Amino acid sequence: MISITGARTIGVLILAAVLAAAVPGQAGSPSLADRVIEHKLANGMTVLMVERHQAPIVSVNMTFGVGGVNEQVGQTGLAHLYEHMAFKGTRTVGTRDYEREQAVLDDLAMVGTELDRREREETARAQADGKPPVPSQTVQQLQRRFKELQEKAGEYVVGNEMALLYQRHGGVGLNASTGKDITRYVISLPANRLPLWAALESDRMAHPVLREFYKERGVVMEERRLRTDDSPNGLLYETFTSTAFQAHQYGVPTIGWGSDILALTPAATEAFFKTYYGPNNATVAIVGDINPKEVIALIEQTFGKIPAAPPIPSLVTEEPPQRGERRVEIEFDAEPALAIGYHKPTIGHPDDFVFDVIDEVLTEGVTSRLYSTLVRDKRLAASVLSDTNYPGVRAPNLFVIAATPLAPHTTAEVESATYEELDRLKTEPISAKEFERVLNGLDADLVRSLRSNSGLASQLAFYHTVAGTWRYVLNARDRIAAVTPADVQRVAAQYLTKPNRTVGVLVKKAQDKKMAAEVAR
Amino acid sequence: MRSVSPEVSLVKREDGGGRRMRTDRGWVSVLAMVLAIVLQATVGWAADLTSNDPRTMRFPTVEFNPPDAERVVLDNGMVVYLLEDHELPLVTINATLRTGSWLDPADKVGLAGMTGAVMRTGGSAGMSPDEVDEELEQLAASMSIGFAKESGSASLDVLKKDLKRGLQIFADLLRRPAFEQSRVELAKLQALEGIRRRQDSPGSIVGREFAKLLYGPTHPSARETSVRSIDGITREDLVAFHRQTVHPNGIILGVTGDFEKADMLALLRDAFGDWAKGSVPPVTIPAVSGTDANTGLVRFVNKDTSQTHLRVGHLTIKETDPDYVAVAIANDILGGSSFRSRLFNDVRTQRGLAYSVGSGLRASVYDEGVWLMRAETKLSSTQEVVNRFVANMERMRNEPVTDTELEEAKEAYVNSFVFSFTSASSIVGRLMDLEYDGLPKDWLQQIRDRVVKLTKEDIQRAAKAHFNPERLRILAVGSGEALSKVLGSFGEVKEITLVPES
Repeated sequence: MISITGARTIGVLILAAVLAAAVPGQAGSPSLADRVIEHKLANGMTVLMVERHQAPIVSVNMTFGVGGVNEQVGQTGLAHLYEHMAFKGTRTVGTRDYEREQAVLDDLAMVGTELDRREREETARAQADGKPPVPSQTVQQLQRRFKELQEKAGEYVVGNEMALLYQRHGGVGLNASTGKDITRYVISLPANRLPLWAALESDRMAHPVLREFYKERGVVMEERRLRTDDSPNGLLYETFTSTAFQAHQYGVPTIGWGSDILALTPAATEAFFKTYYGPNNATVAIVGDINPKEVIALIEQTFGKIPAAPPIPSLVTEEPPQRGERRVEIEFDAEPALAIGYHKPTIGHPDDFVFDVIDEVLTEGVTSRLYSTLVRDKRLAASVLSDTNYPGVRAPNLFVIAATPLAPHTTAEVESATYEELDRLKTEPISAKEFERVLNGLDADLVRSLRSNSGLASQLAFYHTVAGTWRYVLNARDRIAAVTPADVQRVAAQYLTKPNRTVGVLVKKAQDKKMAAEVAR
Repeated sequence: MRSVSPEVSLVKREDGGGRRMRTDRGWVSVLAMVLAIVLQATVGWAADLTSNDPRTMRFPTVEFNPPDAERVVLDNGMVVYLLEDHELPLVTINATLRTGSWLDPADKVGLAGMTGAVMRTGGSAGMSPDEVDEELEQLAASMSIGFAKESGSASLDVLKKDLKRGLQIFADLLRRPAFEQSRVELAKLQALEGIRRRQDSPGSIVGREFAKLLYGPTHPSARETSVRSIDGITREDLVAFHRQTVHPNGIILGVTGDFEKADMLALLRDAFGDWAKGSVPPVTIPAVSGTDANTGLVRFVNKDTSQTHLRVGHLTIKETDPDYVAVAIANDILGGSSFRSRLFNDVRTQRGLAYSVGSGLRASVYDEGVWLMRAETKLSSTQEVVNRFVANMERMRNEPVTDTELEEAKEAYVNSFVFSFTSASSIVGRLMDLEYDGLPKDWLQQIRDRVVKLTKEDIQRAAKAHFNPERLRILAVGSGEALSKVLGSFGEVKEITLVPES
């Protein structure tokens, strides 16, 4: 996820200043610092609020500091599966009779876990013998029992009741997403429905019920097929990323490896929830037509009752320095594409701000260096873009350049033209005009980002979670403005090197018969 | 700056874009783009809280009277909507142009699209392409021009301090585009690369092939560019297409942001006032010909994938049809409303067979619309999913929806109505759309009133009349050999072969 890059968000600060000047009623508020109201509950949950009374609506972004990085070997995809399960309801929402349902769910989990284990073993044994797997008597028995229990459990379910309540009350944009570092739950509502949100969300923070677990696992498998297995870009980035990160969890796909998804258990999912979904690991940003005092009272009455969880376990594994270029090819029935990544430091590191400048100079807009050279002038590429914080922000990550060649040119030609431009960054200082364009663009983008309640809520909760405080945005713009041309040369020379690089290439699979796509002339 | 990070989210995000938002599937789901217009007192809730059980909470409907825009017509016929909004120091000018790819000659499909693209990139009478790009990016202004099927659009978004200069460039590109040869060539190369890449993903194949299956391959709503059609387009064609179709009396401007109305009108008269009228034809899309539009068909495209991409549906009514509102709510209950819908609950929640599943109703005032059910599912569950599509469709026809379902659909519609009017640009954008389509300015309110009056009988009648099992066309993209067997129970299966371009 995380399409909000460091650079993009800085402007909130500028915005705040702008707003302060422009909105009558807001005079005397010289900065964002004065518009964001921060409240911390005794249990550790953080609430960030901004009042905007233009329309009677409110956007909420609830962000937890948990994601793919918090998973164990053999359980990849767990953070994402939990996010799906969080919509299955609680002891009151989504059920006709929780007491009775619980007993069935317990049996179902036991039988399902045993069935998974035996099926896995029998499949492995059959594979070793070179035979197709034939389910044993025991497995067949378990399958029958599983089916019965699943049907019985289904009798208690009120399907999608939580989402239904939101929709019925006029909620829009209901969604959730899981990334490497964070998991987010978002909704926009008519402003007077915030108590509904507080009731539903505090209930699921305290008492979620993992009903319809095995069905949802099937849904996630379909999601994996859609996003990754059948998607040329999905597969390219999964393989590219796991090549670049060999130790750190960033190398593991957030959706999970297929075999892991199919082995996830209700018990592991429940444990994951208990470890990572305490109020002390949550930040909620609320922007819109609100009265902060009333919001605080509401949140204290609801979330305030939930006890803090133990601090979340710290991460151990670090990615060792890369010593030598890594190259990987992915064959697919699709036209070629290219991804180049360089390891770099994480958010807040002085060099990260320099990368924000490099990112803009290289690919932002049609006058940027890579676009004007590769696409417009040399006509080697159909598209080019870059990302400064791939695939996550909290740990050291990658600066990525992605491009598609324009036939008959090849990924190799695009790659070498890209390196020429990267070398130019090392040898020539960027011009004052380029730098001015970068700053103008950042400032304007950030003014624009204040047009949206949900966008502002997203930024505040994002930075509070990944950088420790939303105030990170208050000085980031100044840090970028202070970057010098010499910094750019130094950082380019230090990080944009061959041994530090990973290259992924999507290669068109040898054509079979009639599926020949439309050919180049 | 753009992210390539993999995103994993709970439900597939729909494209929010496009000027046709009000008729896209899902009905009104406009994201909040907030600008200050009316200072509304905060709605307190403390007193309304009678229960902590979210299932029984009740709230009053939010009342909101959005501000109205002013409409001015310049002497040359250009229509201008203005709505001031002084929250942020920004000005946005959107234009809808009475042109579009429905005007493409049969042998030059792609002409309109390329004209719009190169109007933006090809420079103007006074500035080279590079000068335009350099200046706009130095000002951090964003400008776009693009021509779709039934209309063109252009937009300028600029800091208030740069309005005058931005508007000059904008007007210059609209009125006097230079179509510089090198940029024409670049656009053609890009278009050819797009053709080359359009069979890469099954999702792209299924959407385009299904349109062709319903409308026929030469109809303006389905036809596609080809290597030959792009090759045949010349700079002179672009110049002529612009000259023939872009006229001030075919343009509706919507101006929102931090300006004073009188000053803005003076600027607009300077920029556009001396532009002479031209001849503007009404949008005319041919009806789909013949009776074969009404027969069921089963087709597949062979692509080496793990999932089958399914589309099942048929052509349907226009937005102005008296049955439209009832069909829209029937579709909402069947599969249009994500979590709340029957298809989502049946195929995704209860059976775990798909991540993305639902139905859609796309209707316009010009053209027969499309109603369809869609999903992606693994090969082995393909048949079951199609069976569920048919069964759910039949249930909509054969029995009335429940009181609860209808109540939920109405409440969701009425309670989210406020999200249709959250910003000056969304208010003005809607007025522009409605005027362009010849619909009354309170069209949305009329629809809301009709939704509220719907009965279960209305819904069933609409489902019976407009979800038609005999007309269903089934398209599956996926593993070919297996698909021909799996789909056999639904009719005679034929393959669509994607032929290489000559």
